Amino acid sequence: MSKESQMRAAINQKLIEMGERERLKELLRAKLIECGWRDQLKALCKEVIKEKGIENVTVEDLVAGVTPKGRALVPDSVKKELLQRIRAFLAQHST
Amino acid sequence: MKMEDVSLSSMDNSKMEGFAQEILSDLVEDACLGLCFEVHRAVKQGYFFLDDTDQESMKDFEIVDQPGVDIFGQVYNQWKNKECVCPNCSRSIAASRFAPHLEKCLGMGRNSSRIANRRIASGNNTNKSESDQEDNDDVNDNDWSYGAEKKAKKRKSDKVFLHSLKQPVHLNPNSPRRSKSMKHKNGRLNRRDEPEKISTSKKAESQNTPLITTGQW
Repeated sequence: MSKESQMRAAINQKLIEMGERERLKELLRAKLIECGWRDQLKALCKEVIKEKGIENVTVEDLVAGVTPKGRALVPDSVKKELLQRIRAFLAQHST
Repeated sequence: MKMEDVSLSSMDNSKMEGFAQEILSDLVEDACLGLCFEVHRAVKQGYFFLDDTDQESMKDFEIVDQPGVDIFGQVYNQWKNKECVCPNCSRSIAASRFAPHLEKCLGMGRNSSRIANRRIASGNNTNKSESDQEDNDDVNDNDWSYGAEKKAKKRKSDKVFLHSLKQPVHLNPNSPRRSKSMKHKNGRLNRRDEPEKISTSKKAESQNTPLITTGQW
């Protein structure tokens, strides 16, 4: 195991242990609903479903069709706020 | 644990930034995945497209924004001229007058015994002397009750109005409106002391002629 991946694992464990990951998730969720990201993605999902048919559509289809656009559609302000929180957490626990 | 602490503390700024970005994209992906699961479940359960509507049906339920009408496009004080059909005498009565009418028509409330008596009397094809006595009672009532004259005036105008507007096709002899104006008319006649006319009006009653016409002369 390289040092890099070791560090990553350590950080993730810390995030989960402290409950910070859950808090961040909740914050992100609220922000994304607020800015309409969720509705945009739902519209994308509808397109995918219509393309594949209601009976045949799978979770994989949805993930493949939606995730790339979903990542791009997250507003910069939301990204910035989340990054701020994460950096603060990392700085607090790396001293 | 100690080793982790060491590894975290040895992190420089650029590495920290990289980790932060990674965590963020992890979170976003989580959110995406969560949404996909949610949508998939909704589709398979059949409630995903429930709130979908087409343009035509939306047009049907559009909110109307015009002066004088409510949001459904109806005139908003329409209920004022609504008429109800009385289940007892099957006459249509303005909604605002329906409750007092029904009270009298069904013979409940304050005047119930009097009206019930009257109904029994008219049902038995009217013993004349008895009904005369009744009418006299009513006249007395009118004389000493408060504001009787006002009432009398109102009734007169009511009658004229009714007559000018519509002539009910069929009148139930038990209906209170009839008996009420009958009472009034008889009161007038009695004061003038014209016994023949009373008897003719009694005849009219037994023939089920609408009162409004008999009240004309």
